[in-house]
Amino acid sequence: MRPGDAEVLEARIAAFEQQHPRVRVRSLYKETEELRSGLESAVLVGRGPDVVFGPSDVIGVYHTIGALRDLAEFFTAEELADFDPRAVVSLPAKESPDRDNLLMLGDRFGNHLALVYDRRRVPSAPKSTDELVALAEANTIDADSDGRPERYGLVWNYREPFFAVPFLTGYGAWVFADKREDGRPVPTLDTPESVAAYRFVSGLREKGLLPRSADYEGAASLFLEGKVAMLIDGDWSWQKYASAPGIDAAVAPLPVVSETGLPMAPMVAPRGYSLTVASAGAGRDAGVDLIRFLINEDSQRIALEEQRTVPSRLSVRAEARELNDPILTASLAQLEVGRLMPTDVELRVIWDSMRPHYQSLMAGRMTPEQAAAAMQAEAVSNIQRLLVPVAKDWSALPVKVMGVASLAALAIAAVWVAVRVTRDFSRNRLAYLFVAPSVALIFATVLFPLAYNIVLSFSNMSLSRFHDWEVVGVGNYADIFFGRQSGAFWGVLGKTIAWTVINVFFHVTLGVMLALALNGPIRGKPIYRLLLVIPWAVPAYITALTWRGMFDAEFGSASQLATAVNRWLPGFLQLPEVWLTEPGPAFAACIIANVWLGFPFMMIVALGGLQGIPQELYEAATIDRASRWQQFWNITVPMLRPVMLPAVTLGAVWTFNNLNIVWLVSNGGEPSDKTHILVSYVYKAVFNLYQYGYGAALSMVIFGMLLGFSMLFLSRTRATEGVT
Amino acid sequence: MPSPSQRDPLYLKLLRHAVLLLFVAIALWPVMDVVSISLRPGNQLRTTQWRLIPEGATFESYAALFRDHPFLRWVWNSLVVSAAVTVTGVALASLSGYAFSRCRFVGRRALMLAVLTTQMFPATMLLLPLYVMIAWLGLLDTYLGLVAFYVSTALPFCVWQMKGFYDTIPPALEEAARMDGCSQWQAFYRVVLPLAAPGLVITALFSFLSAWSEYLVAAQVLQNEEMFTLPLGLKSFQASMSTQWGLYAAASLLVSVPVVVVFLVLSRYLVSGMTLGSVKE
Repeated sequence: MRPGDAEVLEARIAAFEQQHPRVRVRSLYKETEELRSGLESAVLVGRGPDVVFGPSDVIGVYHTIGALRDLAEFFTAEELADFDPRAVVSLPAKESPDRDNLLMLGDRFGNHLALVYDRRRVPSAPKSTDELVALAEANTIDADSDGRPERYGLVWNYREPFFAVPFLTGYGAWVFADKREDGRPVPTLDTPESVAAYRFVSGLREKGLLPRSADYEGAASLFLEGKVAMLIDGDWSWQKYASAPGIDAAVAPLPVVSETGLPMAPMVAPRGYSLTVASAGAGRDAGVDLIRFLINEDSQRIALEEQRTVPSRLSVRAEARELNDPILTASLAQLEVGRLMPTDVELRVIWDSMRPHYQSLMAGRMTPEQAAAAMQAEAVSNIQRLLVPVAKDWSALPVKVMGVASLAALAIAAVWVAVRVTRDFSRNRLAYLFVAPSVALIFATVLFPLAYNIVLSFSNMSLSRFHDWEVVGVGNYADIFFGRQSGAFWGVLGKTIAWTVINVFFHVTLGVMLALALNGPIRGKPIYRLLLVIPWAVPAYITALTWRGMFDAEFGSASQLATAVNRWLPGFLQLPEVWLTEPGPAFAACIIANVWLGFPFMMIVALGGLQGIPQELYEAATIDRASRWQQFWNITVPMLRPVMLPAVTLGAVWTFNNLNIVWLVSNGGEPSDKTHILVSYVYKAVFNLYQYGYGAALSMVIFGMLLGFSMLFLSRTRATEGVT
Repeated sequence: MPSPSQRDPLYLKLLRHAVLLLFVAIALWPVMDVVSISLRPGNQLRTTQWRLIPEGATFESYAALFRDHPFLRWVWNSLVVSAAVTVTGVALASLSGYAFSRCRFVGRRALMLAVLTTQMFPATMLLLPLYVMIAWLGLLDTYLGLVAFYVSTALPFCVWQMKGFYDTIPPALEEAARMDGCSQWQAFYRVVLPLAAPGLVITALFSFLSAWSEYLVAAQVLQNEEMFTLPLGLKSFQASMSTQWGLYAAASLLVSVPVVVVFLVLSRYLVSGMTLGSVKE
């Protein structure tokens, strides 16, 4: 939603409640991705909201997992006659594909990109790409001729393929073929038209007309600071630019591609309301009333007046034209040429298949031809993975038998343990009483999810088998080690081990070093100690994003520091100056951010451990004329060991499984999916391709590896043994 | 290495200050960025202007937090949850850590390893079954479900940590206390527990922080906005392409204040926890 949309919606819901005094509407805001995963789990347990509001592109997914109710029985054709037909979203019914289900009613259009330009630099918007390139060249200025322009002509978020769509359509390309096969869309990412589009954008980069890197926030900031003349951005942002001080922003439809004569057409999508399967009885009726109320003329008119929303009702849209609001006029014009965003589940695969190769293209690591071919190949194979569940094989029966056998073995083991514990109980009564509550609590929350996951790992749970999954055997495990993507798996495993070792090494050495520096009398100790725990205290989410910003090639203080330091370093020791768009440096950036986040914890543990070392030991050692170095190795290290061991073991396990930092600093594996560790790799498999079975198997593999490592490490260090 | 009873030579003193100052600078470096974002007008995450206090700096984001959002409510909710987690976690870990350190009961080693094992599973994969379980138990939208889960995820580390601390305390001390007529419980409570104060501090800090900043599970359990904890509240400032960075940064800094306070209160015990020597005398 755009800023302010939520308030307008809340006000309309309040108005609805006033009209329907017996109905209470509880609204809950979730970000698109979270709404999706939240709705998926809600569907599994048959709970959840009655009505959902969101963009149309996820409707295909919701429908495939059976989350939505057909609205056709509640809304008549006459009632919807006034609607832009693109806002009334229907898909073939799951059980009988010849019949359509009405799945969403849109109350607005949006999400379309247009050209935002700074009138101080560009008096009137370019009508063709030739004009666009000429304006971009005229506005790319390198005053001190250091090869890094101070001002640029054009920028857009070139991490996300969504922003590349207008170039594709302008060259006559589209993500899917016009003709569907067996009712399913066919990807067309490698066509002469799309290659021409990629050649155009990579040409802009080669001419030096684009900043070296620009993610969404970076592109916006460059424009807001007046450093870029033109920006491609979506309708959610235009108001912000128009009201920004220091620039003179205006919005215009994207230009026509000079070579083809076609307009650059962005994707457009309606947003609207759907009824979920969780709704029943009175809740369902109230939900239908609510939808009817929120899409009526009054609601759309209020949204238009207050938020300049593009209405889905044609009558209200006519009123919108008469407002003569410059941004709204540009929006309506852009909407006219826009192409409707498909609602097929395959679209998600299209984005995920385009993203890495598009990023490589924009970083100059791939030619347009290579990028287009790679995108197409990946899209075809990923659609296969998305839609075709793992096949049942010979191992399904043995797996089930093994399952029953291990349950029986567990039961026998439980009885045996119970007998032994009962015998031992009177001797160690206090110990059992002390241990029981912790152990019970720990296992209460873990056992069920773990068991569930084990079963899933042998199943074909996926997008198309979301409810009716079954145990199919060891197919998922075979896929990990021997499947088409097994090469990627081993690469990621190597990276994960490097990630863990480097991180834990620095956490522990820095932590212990700082604890030693803080230990004993030193002036300003409380202040030092307080300032040094700050990386632990500030929420990691924001600091991880800050680190990402610090490594940005255009803005980042860390990359500027690297550039400055390089002047003093000999040639073979040069630090990277471009971090986030190169695979190696991007991974190093993740590690640096995570070391920063983790050292305070180890420092605190080490500080606590140092307190427990009796002073007499040092005094005796001093009398024996042991050097400080000898005292450190012979007293401090062995006495710290029992305290540090659990922290080191668990630190390694947590680091191995630390999804957040890699995900945030590298923005989900950028560049080109080269910065994944195993957990982010699982996360991507599960949440982008809905491969729940594969994801579950992969997490069992992770679990097994960590278990093996910890057992080895703990038995080597004899950590379970006490002091006795 | 340095011990309080030895006087450091000057070069070592200087070295210690140099190392500490360097790391203080590193620790504060990204945080300064967050400060700058929180003061920036117009909601920008990135800027090419290098100033701690940005042009047109404003406290608007801070004001908006209290004026337009139930920020204090979120703080209160998080405090309640984190306090419950801390108290429960410390109590349970100090008991079971002691048993693991001192008592040789049946299944001790296996249990210790099993406790550790629970940490090895990628948490993101547990979310779906966890949601199913919490829904079955009718614990959606309750703090009980949240607290139980937080305690159980924090406990494995806390138990092992406490066990590690108890291991450094000579059993002879308790045996002496037993000789003087203490029961096993009294020996634990009066003699061993006070000596493990630094361990309790670490356990408490760890439990508090893991509850204070947890987002994923909270997002599954809590649906009612009235009950939101801080991370959920903060996350509501975020949308894929129109995040309110100013609010987000301001809130993140304010959120760290209670953590720093908790740390200040607890660190007294972390440093001046009675040393063994002082007890023996």
